[in-house]
Amino acid sequence: MKQSFYESEKQKLDKLSNFQLPNYFKKIGWTLFGISLILTLLFKFTEDPSPIISVICKKGMLVGLLLVAIAREKVEDEMIEKLRGKSFSAAFIFGVLYALIQPLVNYFVGVTIKPEPTTYSDLGDFQVLWFMLFIYVMLFQLYKRIA
Amino acid sequence: MKNTIKVERAILDMTQEDLAQKIGVSRQTINSIEKNRYVPSTVLALKLSQLFGKPVNTIFSLEITD
Repeated sequence: MKQSFYESEKQKLDKLSNFQLPNYFKKIGWTLFGISLILTLLFKFTEDPSPIISVICKKGMLVGLLLVAIAREKVEDEMIEKLRGKSFSAAFIFGVLYALIQPLVNYFVGVTIKPEPTTYSDLGDFQVLWFMLFIYVMLFQLYKRIA
Repeated sequence: MKNTIKVERAILDMTQEDLAQKIGVSRQTINSIEKNRYVPSTVLALKLSQLFGKPVNTIFSLEITD
């Protein structure tokens, strides 16, 4: 039977939005995140940290958390799907609020505490993405525990 | 919404793990449904109904707060 245009588009969209990696990617993700985090902390204390290494470590942390976020659970059922949805929506809202409020907090704290003039600056993409992914992973674990 | 899954499971002498495997969900999902923390989809409710051989509305029933 010939599929209608809307049905075929819906199938494509579902395939895209339901994309998940196998469960073992969770371990790979945590390992990558851990190594990148340790390297970031180690290079923070070196006198002249290379910007390339810093960028690689940051990307490593983001990729690690992303792998954890999109790896399947051992049993990926409808309850897990619902918990994922709840965690993603909450993480998205918290992420937007963080991106809006945190620069203002930084600015006002700077103005109040520092003697030199403080300029307003937005958060970088790394900070916002890291925050969103981290909140998602934490909320998902929490929801699973209390479900 | 309340349900009688725990009773039905006991009648068939099944553990949460057995039931979970039979209907293709995790043991945690069965536990959450039994404790009224998660309301299953119609598909899952029908699978339970088929397995227990009873109509859905004898297994699941609404509460005043619903």
